[in-house]
Amino acid sequence: MAPTPAEKAALAQNVTNQPDGPGKRIGKRGEVHVIGNVLPGGGKLFRERIAQFQAEAGYWETHVGTVHDFRVLMFDNDTRILISAIYDGDFLPYLADVINQAGPWFDMLMPGVWEGYTSASDTATRKLIGRQAYTADAFYAGYPDLTTKDIAKMRKLRDAVNAMLDSAS
Amino acid sequence: MSALELSDIQGTVLRGRPMPYYGTYLVFTVQNPRSALTLLERLLPKVTTAADWEAPAENAWINVAFSHAGLSKLGLPEDVLSGFPREVRQGMAARSAFLGDVGSSAPENWDMPHAGNGLDIGLLIMAGSIALRDDKIAIGHAAVSGLPGIVAAHRLDVGLPPTMREHFGFVDGISRPYIEGQGGTPLPGQPIAKAGEFVLGYENELGEIASGPGPQELWRNGTYIALRKLHQDVAAFRRFLRDNANSPEGQELLAAQMMGRWRSGCPLAKSPERDDPAMANDPLRNNDFLYLKEDPDGRVTPAGSHIRRANPRDALDGTVVDMKLHRLLRRGSAYGGVLPEGVMEDDGADRGLVIALINANPGRQFEFVQSQWMNDGDFISEGDRTDPFAGRKDKADDFVTLKPRKRYRGLSQFATTRGGEHLFLPGIGGLKWILGNVKPA
Ligand code: HEM
Repeated sequence: MAPTPAEKAALAQNVTNQPDGPGKRIGKRGEVHVIGNVLPGGGKLFRERIAQFQAEAGYWETHVGTVHDFRVLMFDNDTRILISAIYDGDFLPYLADVINQAGPWFDMLMPGVWEGYTSASDTATRKLIGRQAYTADAFYAGYPDLTTKDIAKMRKLRDAVNAMLDSAS
Repeated sequence: MSALELSDIQGTVLRGRPMPYYGTYLVFTVQNPRSALTLLERLLPKVTTAADWEAPAENAWINVAFSHAGLSKLGLPEDVLSGFPREVRQGMAARSAFLGDVGSSAPENWDMPHAGNGLDIGLLIMAGSIALRDDKIAIGHAAVSGLPGIVAAHRLDVGLPPTMREHFGFVDGISRPYIEGQGGTPLPGQPIAKAGEFVLGYENELGEIASGPGPQELWRNGTYIALRKLHQDVAAFRRFLRDNANSPEGQELLAAQMMGRWRSGCPLAKSPERDDPAMANDPLRNNDFLYLKEDPDGRVTPAGSHIRRANPRDALDGTVVDMKLHRLLRRGSAYGGVLPEGVMEDDGADRGLVIALINANPGRQFEFVQSQWMNDGDFISEGDRTDPFAGRKDKADDFVTLKPRKRYRGLSQFATTRGGEHLFLPGIGGLKWILGNVKPA
């Protein structure tokens, strides 16, 4: 017999809101979406720049160090842009640091594309990001108690255990 | 870099406390806004500024600060009130879940008034002698005398214990940032901070002019203070050391590893094997150290030790965190009598620490440090683990060292929050603006 809705809901995760918003939170995992408007001609600039932006993703996100995954999407006939991320911990307390760290990466993509975005070091841009951030209505996180740092640590441990087992066999 | 307008900045922002020190926090509740303005008018000429930083005219000062509730009662315009930082508007009690003030630390157990239950105006008094302190207290009392609707709601005296240490037995008040434009020269190891991290109206580490709500006259040369009253369970700390080390030397080492400094103040980073009181007393050496190059994993100064959590120095370089955005300027002082040496059971007396943490941006300074570094361990890959002294113990109650590789369990809530508030400390110009522009209903 198929499980009832109540039986299925028994596996529900404990979802809360990020302190002072935006974003939902499960365990150590947070989410956030930012939706901005695209300037006329922004689509063309975006497509010219996106390959290098993509190529540098690993560099910048490794620096930030708390992001599990991240995406940028232009939609609605080049009129809107969506940025979303899954990351560890609180959102607002780290916003200034994240913008500081990854600012130059965003600055190579967004000026002339995202309406209102001048430069990551500009107060108005920081405020724009805050204003245009949204919280998901539903959220699921796999292994919500593990941070990127925890995963890296476990991988190191796994490799060490494998190396030990290999040398013993 | 612009020079700080010292004569417009209240003294406590830039002046360390005298040694020894005798201080008092006086809390007033406003029932009559007109009286509150008269109180301010009377206090204004008496408020000590930072102008005599180099050569204090007298070794004592009196400063005045307001909670958001207090400013609201005074009658500040709504559009100005709504421009204060979220943390100040909400008040510290409302921030308790985020700050980890839960269980025995929850606001319903606080015994010092906070905004909304009595703390409208606070007078901060600090002096080099009891007589000088009492003179300043008399100024406070004279300022309220005969005024209807101003209630003296609370008084908390602070003072250096005869041991010359804070209650857990450590020398305190060593490390602080050097503020650009404060005068003098930075000590070795002292980080140089942009003035806008600690005083409104100056450039901060984001390259912005730190600003406040409403007209510049109100906030220029003002700042915010995160005030915390922390009760210390000295007997529990002593029992923990006794139960987890098998010699007096072992106890001292464990205490040092939890703090990151020997009780003398000597940094573990500079003297890992044994205490060096000469080093502790030498301001040219006692703060001159970093972590990243020589001790990246925390084998000497544990990553989870109090001073490495509260100020990781360069340990987080290369991570998302920019240390420069999370600096605190501490004015810590002890209250309550000393628990006599050797006593292992609590005597029921209230003793602890009042810390006034000065910051121009309470969200990314005090609240960041408390929530991310004191009450969590992810930033050092330690999961939920918290600060051995100042961290909440309901999430985790252990502490680890790498040398020896050991995990200590069962740390109790050595420090419990007994009060707290985000206060606005205007500059002299700000006090004048309030007097000139606020019309009580
Ligand atoms: C009962 C609780 C606490 C005790 C007994 C305590 C004691 C101490 C001591 C002995 C030091 C080392 C001496 C020095 O550098 O001045 C220190 C440093 C420090 N503490 Fe605390 N503290 C407590 C709570 C806090 C809290 C709640 C905060 C902030 C949220 C804090 C922030 C700092 C900072 C920023 C330093 C300087 C670290 C450095 O620059 O190396 N402390 N504390």
